[in-house]
Amino acid sequence: MDERDIMGLIETLLFVSGDAIPVKRIADFLDMDLRKTRKLMEKLIDVFNFERRGLQIIRVNDSYQLATRPEYGEYIEKFFGGDKKQTLSQAVLETLSIIAYRQPITRMDIELIRGVKCEYAINVLMEKGLIKEVGRMEAPGRPILYGTTDLFLKSFGLTSLEELPPLEELEE
Amino acid sequence: MWEDYMDYHVKLDMFEGPLDLLLHLISKAKIKIEDISITEITEQYLDYLDKMKEFDVEIASEFLVMAATLLYIKSRSLLPKLKDEEQEEADPEQDLIRRLSEYKKYKEASEKLRERENIYSNIYYKLPEELVDEKEKSYSTLIEGDANDLLLAFLKLMAQRNFQKTERRVYPIIRRSVTVSQRIQEIKDILYKTYQCSFFQLLEDNCHRSDVVVTFLALLEMLKDNQIRIYQQGQFEDIIIRRA
Repeated sequence: MDERDIMGLIETLLFVSGDAIPVKRIADFLDMDLRKTRKLMEKLIDVFNFERRGLQIIRVNDSYQLATRPEYGEYIEKFFGGDKKQTLSQAVLETLSIIAYRQPITRMDIELIRGVKCEYAINVLMEKGLIKEVGRMEAPGRPILYGTTDLFLKSFGLTSLEELPPLEELEE
Repeated sequence: MWEDYMDYHVKLDMFEGPLDLLLHLISKAKIKIEDISITEITEQYLDYLDKMKEFDVEIASEFLVMAATLLYIKSRSLLPKLKDEEQEEADPEQDLIRRLSEYKKYKEASEKLRERENIYSNIYYKLPEELVDEKEKSYSTLIEGDANDLLLAFLKLMAQRNFQKTERRVYPIIRRSVTVSQRIQEIKDILYKTYQCSFFQLLEDNCHRSDVVVTFLALLEMLKDNQIRIYQQGQFEDIIIRRA
């Protein structure tokens, strides 16, 4: 198989999978090393973008997934008559951003920053799968530590936590 | 500034908490957080709480705590300071300024996240094809299941096998010879040989409803006695059974 065949094959696998496929799984299957596979994936992403295909390949934490492009979102809603996906409320989003930048973090620390109770916001985020328990703090009561999930990255178009927009530094 | 009566009405429930309200007051006054005048801000803050009362909005306790803090800072600034005291005690005003700056940072970050959310909530994905389930199993990590997962898999199996609803009104009653304890022994034997097997594997395609029930009961019994561990990929999926 030449490179084009392999890229076609990967595209096929991504389509059938629907879910994100870890790069390691692709590398193992093609019997290629990880570096080479990642390079090939980046190339495939470029091809999709260059040809302005309706679909794109997104990367989240070393996994790849086939997805539609955001600019077509409104047409999808029009065509299928569905409602726009619900966005998060301000309280929930603030809580999420504190968790994203400060993870792992306890509920108490989040509440300290926001100055209000965050139990509800945390429950909503857990239900939506945007955050998860990542452990317990070795402190009295062993409070739960929260962190973000891959779904969080995907929902905000990030490939890793390093891609979070930088926090404004405190004014001197 | 606060004269516009309707203004309150629109903005009353807009604030996420006392810090949010303070930030709003500060930005309205067009000053930096560091330069706030506690006296002024306290007045405006209390004013706002009064308006909330007027509109019969329930004031969350956090807002009252902040009001107390502001008054404390204000009273403190009016009292002459002893030198020792100044060094030892943390300055509540600086503390408040630090908290406000910190909160502002994340509030701004959340606005950026909101922009991203608006864009990326427009992306759609496809569901996996059915055949993916079997193949992926060996790759993705197994999650540990409990009795409830076992029940769900059982229900799924019952639905799948579609135990034919025949027209016949008379059913022959077959006395099944397999008991739960016999089934436990059988499963033990299988696990002894293979280390792990799956719930669906344990049942032949044309097995009788009672076989499914007996097998299920056997697994529950073995799980209770800690003889096996069960794993499941997700709700309604097959159950992997392993020796404990």
